[in-house]
Amino acid sequence: MVPPQCVYFRMLYHYLDQKRKEGSARLHATYLVSGKFVENGTTSHKVSVVREDQLEDAKSKMSLTVSVHVYSVQKAVLKDSGPLYSADYDAVKENLRNCSRYSAIRCADAVPRSSAEVQQACETTQAPPPETEQIKANHSNLASKPTSKQPKGIMGMFANKNVSKNQDSSKEIKLEQKEVTPVVETSKTKPAPKTNPVTNFFAKQAAKKPDKSIKEEVEIAQTSSSVDEKPTSPPPKAETPVKEELAKDAVVEKDTSKTKRLEHSDSEEEKNESRRKKRRRIKKPEPDSSDDEVIPDSPPQLQEKRDPSPSPEIQVKKEPVAVSHSDELSDCKRRKRRRVLKSRTFVDDEGCIVTEKDYESESYSETEDDFKFSQPTPKNPNPPKPSTGKKEEEKKSKKAAAASNKSTKQASIMGFFQKK
Amino acid sequence: SVKHLFGLQFLRLKMTTLTRQDLNFGQVVADILCEFLEVAIHLILYVREVYPSGIFQKRKKYNVPVQMSCHPELNQYIHDTLHCVKPLIEKNDAEKVVVVIMDKEHHPVERFVFEISQPPLLSISSDTLLSHVEQLLRAVILKISVCDAVLENNPPGCTFTVLVHTREAATRNMEKVQVIKDFPWIVADEQEVHMQEPRLIPLKTMTSDIVKMQLYVEERAQKAS
Repeated sequence: MVPPQCVYFRMLYHYLDQKRKEGSARLHATYLVSGKFVENGTTSHKVSVVREDQLEDAKSKMSLTVSVHVYSVQKAVLKDSGPLYSADYDAVKENLRNCSRYSAIRCADAVPRSSAEVQQACETTQAPPPETEQIKANHSNLASKPTSKQPKGIMGMFANKNVSKNQDSSKEIKLEQKEVTPVVETSKTKPAPKTNPVTNFFAKQAAKKPDKSIKEEVEIAQTSSSVDEKPTSPPPKAETPVKEELAKDAVVEKDTSKTKRLEHSDSEEEKNESRRKKRRRIKKPEPDSSDDEVIPDSPPQLQEKRDPSPSPEIQVKKEPVAVSHSDELSDCKRRKRRRVLKSRTFVDDEGCIVTEKDYESESYSETEDDFKFSQPTPKNPNPPKPSTGKKEEEKKSKKAAAASNKSTKQASIMGFFQKK
Repeated sequence: SVKHLFGLQFLRLKMTTLTRQDLNFGQVVADILCEFLEVAIHLILYVREVYPSGIFQKRKKYNVPVQMSCHPELNQYIHDTLHCVKPLIEKNDAEKVVVVIMDKEHHPVERFVFEISQPPLLSISSDTLLSHVEQLLRAVILKISVCDAVLENNPPGCTFTVLVHTREAATRNMEKVQVIKDFPWIVADEQEVHMQEPRLIPLKTMTSDIVKMQLYVEERAQKAS
């Protein structure tokens, strides 16, 4: 019994063959080669997409070639695999959550193994798990029936959607489809479970090839002798871990900013001083507190607390301790911190790169330049001097005042008072 | 090297801020277009084999792989060129940006013409607009990467240059003001601008609310000289 997707492979091959015999069009093909590959003593199942000129080379490198079929046909010579990925990017994106929806391989008996079974299988088999296990599929079939395994991705070859986009481009899908439809009629006479996927696919007239694309991504990642070297990681997989991280960061930041707002209403100066240190990335810049603050060079313990750490929560806890220390050492003239308008570029929770300007504490020594405080602290030996200091300081204090008025209203407005 | 690697998602964020602050929307469109043109020029150089493929490196743009050059001088040239083009695009003075590929005798063999037009009243309504633009630009990139199918091979030893066709008298200002020091724009030679018996091969058209762009290639009938 032949799986229906073999029909498509044959069709594609037949098409290619026919066109070449006719000599009407210069067509180039890429092939999907899969088989056993031995490297450094370990055997693995390798699937790769190769250009036609590299096909023989790829086949010879495999100890056992399981399947070879035409992956794509195009008029242009593909210098790299980029277009193969780009061509169905949108189709994949739309079907991200439903990747195996249009898979042609169905087997009622195949169910995902329980973890115990998987462990057992790992212990008993010598060979490492096949690389293609990354793809969600019925992998239990793989080890036992390598010969009957067919890459599911070929279904994607017949995507309707890309026809309108790439009329004369990479994949000659349109023609194949016309040729395939008459075959569908005949295939309907086949046993029901086999034809269901086929008829479903064409009945829906949908243009999704998610499996193939995931496969494609894996294959592209795995190709060694084929077109290019750099693997392209699947965009959804890459994006989601980043987004998770960022979301986590954002949540952490938001929590601390809330606590800061509550504290701000108290307007206690000690709290202002130490709070300023914590803030690495703030939605609302708060340069309202004093520009400078005396902190000691030593002890290192205090220094550590003053240094902004990536986890604001830790700093929140340290705050009361730091405050008490500052009382003791405030009358020493040492390195000071000032608030400097700095521009930071980061990726926020939506995956957008955002440049934000805000005030950050920067440590500098007193002798470096003049400075002034906008608010006096009783234990600070240097009272604020609004009339003196450099121009920058003046600007800063003005902006600090302006920001303090507006900090409750809009978050990013400060950025527009500075020239880039 | 590509200086801003901001995806269009960044511009989405930037734009919502801009509308509140009433800043120049033309700048946003110019940013998008110049980023795109940078990628497109690199890709054209790769696909048409103007430079050996060894200097190119796979990078990601609009979430798809693209080939960009690593050669610093080449990158600087392209970047500076587009930096000068940007103010023209901002004011909607640039009609066409043309990448001309010339043979050893400096006669053009191919011209990739990007015709740009912006609607007079620009308005941004939603976030989906920019992701749609990204999708359209992706399609143009894809088309460039397979344009080999419709073009004849170029002779060896080709060079390239970038021409800008401006509307009205914008060029007069360009000559007066050097946007980048020691990187002047000069009026192009007639022979660079016009080609003998060009064949017109359309590649892609994209239409969006913020910009309309057409990409076609003018190809010399006989390339080998």
